[in-house]
Amino acid sequence: MRFSIGAKLWAAFIPILLVIVLVGATAYQNTRKLVDTAQWVAHTHIVIGQLTDLLSALQDAETGQRGYLITGEDRYLEPYNAAGPKLDAAMRNLKALTADNPEQQRRLAVITPLSNAKLAELKETIDLRRGKGFEAARSVVVSDRGKKAMDEIRAITATMSDAENALLKTREEDAKASTQSAFVTIVAGFLVAAGLVVGAGAFLGRHIGRPLKDVTVAAEKIGGGDLSFDLAPTPRSDEIGTLTRTFVQMQDSLRAVASTTERVAAGDLSVQPTPLSDKDVLGNAVATMVDNLRTVAGVAERVAAGDLTVEPTPRSDKDMLGNAVVTMVQNLRAVAGVAERVAAGDLSLQPMPQSDKDILGNAVATMVQNLRAVAGIAERVAAGDLSVQPMPQSDKDMLGNAIATMVQNLRAMTREILNGINVLAGSAAEIQAGMTQIASGAQETATAIGETSSTAEEVKQTAMVSSQKAKSVSEAAQKVTQVSQTGRKAVDEVADGMQRIHDQMALIADSIVRLSEQTQAIGEIIATVNDLAEQSNLLAVNASIEAAKAGEHGKGFAVVAQEVKSLAEQSKQATVQVRQMLGEIQKATSGAVLATEQGGKAVESGLKQSSEAGDAIRVLTESITESAQSATQIAVSAQQQLAGMDQLALALDNIRVAGVQNIASAKQAETSAQDLHGLGQTLKDMLARYKL
Amino acid sequence: MKRKATVNTIDWPAVHRRMKATSEVLEREFEPDPAALTAILQRRAEAIARAPTLEDSGELLEVVEFVLAHERYALESAYIREVCPLKTLTPLPCVPSFLFGVVNVHGQIVSVIDLKRFFGLPLTGLPDLNKVIILHDGAMAFGVLADQILGATTVPLASLQDALPTLTGIRAEYLKGIAPGRLIVLDGAALLRDPDLVVNEEVL
Repeated sequence: MRFSIGAKLWAAFIPILLVIVLVGATAYQNTRKLVDTAQWVAHTHIVIGQLTDLLSALQDAETGQRGYLITGEDRYLEPYNAAGPKLDAAMRNLKALTADNPEQQRRLAVITPLSNAKLAELKETIDLRRGKGFEAARSVVVSDRGKKAMDEIRAITATMSDAENALLKTREEDAKASTQSAFVTIVAGFLVAAGLVVGAGAFLGRHIGRPLKDVTVAAEKIGGGDLSFDLAPTPRSDEIGTLTRTFVQMQDSLRAVASTTERVAAGDLSVQPTPLSDKDVLGNAVATMVDNLRTVAGVAERVAAGDLTVEPTPRSDKDMLGNAVVTMVQNLRAVAGVAERVAAGDLSLQPMPQSDKDILGNAVATMVQNLRAVAGIAERVAAGDLSVQPMPQSDKDMLGNAIATMVQNLRAMTREILNGINVLAGSAAEIQAGMTQIASGAQETATAIGETSSTAEEVKQTAMVSSQKAKSVSEAAQKVTQVSQTGRKAVDEVADGMQRIHDQMALIADSIVRLSEQTQAIGEIIATVNDLAEQSNLLAVNASIEAAKAGEHGKGFAVVAQEVKSLAEQSKQATVQVRQMLGEIQKATSGAVLATEQGGKAVESGLKQSSEAGDAIRVLTESITESAQSATQIAVSAQQQLAGMDQLALALDNIRVAGVQNIASAKQAETSAQDLHGLGQTLKDMLARYKL
Repeated sequence: MKRKATVNTIDWPAVHRRMKATSEVLEREFEPDPAALTAILQRRAEAIARAPTLEDSGELLEVVEFVLAHERYALESAYIREVCPLKTLTPLPCVPSFLFGVVNVHGQIVSVIDLKRFFGLPLTGLPDLNKVIILHDGAMAFGVLADQILGATTVPLASLQDALPTLTGIRAEYLKGIAPGRLIVLDGAALLRDPDLVVNEEVL
């Protein structure tokens, strides 16, 4: 809410005022309009009256004329004579009254000549009657000239009268409408005003009245000391907002003081009450109270921490707390002095308790008495009297119990020591005898060690020789390992070579078989050739026969036939030879195949043997490797053995030296045992002094 | 092991040499060198130039020499039409055993006689009997089986001797004579005329 209460009041009432002004203005306007309308109505009635006058004047004139015409007597002319001025007056009035209406003016302008014409006709008839008699006048009247004018005048006046009546009607309707709207305006204005009044009342009640009531209730509660409620803070910026915030602030400060007081009452003096200002009486009083309590508390703390050097100063004679603290400190100092002297061992003082109810003082006195009793017992024990029987005050008397336990333990211990010394004296004698035996044994040991060390020297020489041998064996084994590996490689190569030879053998066998097959083909050819030779031979024989038949002429032919025959014979022999050679070739190839087969078998067995040889060499290599390793290990072991023998010799030497020392020590121990025996005797004498 | 290898080493250069020589020889066989060619021609010329020795010793008999059961026989060329290899022999039923069968020679059906059976020679050994000598004299024609045809030759008539006492039986009837070199010359005309060889048997 950004507006003050005054502004809100103005805002509530101004709309109502506006409504009232509006309603008044409307009423005034309407009344004015009604008055106007009434005036105009009167005016219209006057105009209509004048028109009636005009018409009646004309009628009077006509009435007079007719009377005269009928009678011819002048006394009937009276209305006629009176009508003239009456008519003029009516015309004048009408002109003046309808000055604002041009339509009516025009109509009046039309009426004027008509009335003049009527009057003229009337005058003419009258004149004619007067001069020429009734008939002349009657003819003019019958001509209806006058009647026409009169009808026209009547029509115009009727029109004018109608126009005025129409005007009157419109004005009355205007007035009626205006009155209606005025009535509506007034009623609506009244309702709006009433609504606004009610709204303003509600608004003010809600936004001003209720907050004020809340604040009032809060003020009453604070007055009654009740700070437990929560006053809702409001964002309002007006006077009520300010009032609420001030109340909230007040409530907060009162709460702060109350909580401080509560914490002080609960013993918490760490609070720091801060007065809101110098004039904050309540805040300042609480702060001072807290300060004083803190001072007392500080003194009490130091006393509680054992610091009795404090000098508390009471604020006044009536400062009960301060005086009580001072007295307490003084009494505690007195007790502390007594305690200090007791602690320093001075048990000669006699502490005096303040009263029977001085628990601290009485306790100190009793403590001093008890300590004196204990000290007496301790003195007797120190003098060797262990027969005392200290009586502890109670089960919880630690010092008394401790002394009693101590005396008992000392008694038991002394008894045990006595027993121990008796045993000691006996043992010392036995030790002495034993030591004598040890000394003689050590002498024998020394002799034996001398022999052992010469034997160890011999063993060492032997170990040296065996170590050298083992080394050479190890080296030889290494070489053998290399050789065997080379052999293994060689055998592998041999196996490969054998395999290749085997393959080649297979190829050779194949070639030979093919050769043999070709030989067979040659044999077939040879057979053919042989056949041919046979046929040639037969042909030659036939040729010879033919030649013989031819007789003398066939001689030459016979020679040729003989030649052909011999060629055939040679061919046949050649084929026989070839066949023989083929047979030989066949035999040779068979032999070659056989040889190849044997070779192949030999190679296979060679392959197998080489593989076996490889395996054997492999096994051999492995064994040789193992042998080499073993040889190496033997060499190392031999070396270690040698070193061990050195150490053994050294150790034997040490043993010999130790044996010599043992002899000396045994002799010393013998002497010591004698001393020990004497000591046991002395201790026995010493313990005899203690009374058990 | 090493020693053994040296012993068994193959002399490969020698082998290669021999192979080369063999192939060269093979090539030379088909194209003989002029020296060998001349030698062959010389030999043939000498053989042809040799004069026939028994030209003027009387009348000569033209014969065809053949082998039958390891013995040399001959027949006069005048009675021989031709010799030919024995092919497609057709055996005949119900004939004497010496009639071996019939063959077709140049469209003529000719009967074939086995002289070994006919002469009653021993049937030992494995005879070839694959040649046929066709005999004819205009009226009669038949074939004679032979193991081997040795060829046509001439025999002086004067040198023919009478039959040996060992030649007995039916062979003696057809013998013309024994020529030098144990050549038995058979009488072709007698064979052709012999009614024993004509089979005229009716099977009942």
